[in-house]
Amino acid sequence: MSGSDHGIPEDDLHAYVDGQLPPDRHAEVARQLQEQPEAAEQVAAYTEQREALRAASAFIAAEPVPARLALHNLIAGRHAERRIVWRAAAAVLLAILVGGAGGWALRGGIRTTPSDLTLLAQEAIANHVVYTADRRRPTELGAEQRDDLAKWVSNRLGRPVAPPDMASAGFHYMGGRLAATPQGPAGLFMYQNADGKRLTVFVLPMRDASDTPTRTVDVGKMDGCAWIDKGVGYTVVAPVPSKELHDLAVEVRRQLEAPT
Amino acid sequence: MQTLDDRDASGQALPVAGRGNVSEQGVLARIEASVPALRRYAIALLRNRDEADDLVHDCLVRALDKLHTRREDADIRAWLFTIMHHHFISQIRRRRARPTPEPLDESHDNAVGLQPAQEDALHWRDLQRGLALLPEEQRSVILLVSLEDLSYAQAAEVLGVPVGTVMSRLARGRERLRQHTGQDTRAPLRRVK
Repeated sequence: MSGSDHGIPEDDLHAYVDGQLPPDRHAEVARQLQEQPEAAEQVAAYTEQREALRAASAFIAAEPVPARLALHNLIAGRHAERRIVWRAAAAVLLAILVGGAGGWALRGGIRTTPSDLTLLAQEAIANHVVYTADRRRPTELGAEQRDDLAKWVSNRLGRPVAPPDMASAGFHYMGGRLAATPQGPAGLFMYQNADGKRLTVFVLPMRDASDTPTRTVDVGKMDGCAWIDKGVGYTVVAPVPSKELHDLAVEVRRQLEAPT
Repeated sequence: MQTLDDRDASGQALPVAGRGNVSEQGVLARIEASVPALRRYAIALLRNRDEADDLVHDCLVRALDKLHTRREDADIRAWLFTIMHHHFISQIRRRRARPTPEPLDESHDNAVGLQPAQEDALHWRDLQRGLALLPEEQRSVILLVSLEDLSYAQAAEVLGVPVGTVMSRLARGRERLRQHTGQDTRAPLRRVK
């Protein structure tokens, strides 16, 4: 090494690796590196590090964004939550007005966690929208494989789950599938009525959530009727008026809670 | 230092005209476009997908709260990383206040799911362990700069430290990572000066 050589400043080595040097300086450093094997070695190692990091994590950025991080869901959730907070506030006010025993009785209703229900309904509606829109292959296992699906979903959810029978309400069972959520696997059962309207029943285990009444959750474009019972969240979604939807949900809940 | 945000892929400065359009939709679109990068950073930082998505979630909620304070031509990406960094730091403080034993063992590694099937999987695991050994402040700098292509000035802004601090953290972190991943064992050419 000739005595006239000056070391390349450490900062410049990094800026060289990161492509953050102005073009002339970049060229200058590249030239100096040819004469400084140790610095060149360092630059090679850092470059390799950088590339390895990028290569190994590139697939994360390419993944579909989980539903709960989708902006439209977050925005819809905020609106829904605000409404629920308002309703809860109204209920508190009512409780204060009624006072005493009445207020105490209402307490249970207010203490439910709206965010759990909102989250659940968002997942259910997202899956409803995606899968019911599929005219050719809306289900993974069709009506004739009802038992297979029940077994599959039960295994994955770690608890017995079977599709309810909605024929009395005019909805015929089409089949279903396993759905993916950030909280883990969920079951999705699909039905269709004579008008071609499709209904889904979404089942998602929610370990820490407390029981709730059956409640309509408005997530923007669609309503879902959701509830949580013994650590499992359920949502019924269908393009019908909310009164009708609520009745359908009550029927689903009745069947699912009935001892088998 | 140049700021990448004002440049297009070819390194040209973008024309300034026409960018003054203050529209919430525009900001939202740019936030949405940044979500995959936020997740990648959070997962690499925390090495746990659920925690990472929680962090991104908190960051986005906060960003939506503060939406009205942003202009479309502002540096949205750096802003989002700044919010996330604040949340991350307060999370760490909470944990220190109430420490929970959290083994960084193999099963924890698995929870991350950062395991590409390629042959460099081994190298990645090395890198990942190496990253885990770094102080959080060095890890953040390496990820923001190497992975997210933030300029040194942007990284300084996100982390709330001077650019000089970014440079020294970057240098120390990279060197430590290099030693950990054993790249030095390739027998560097030593010359007698």
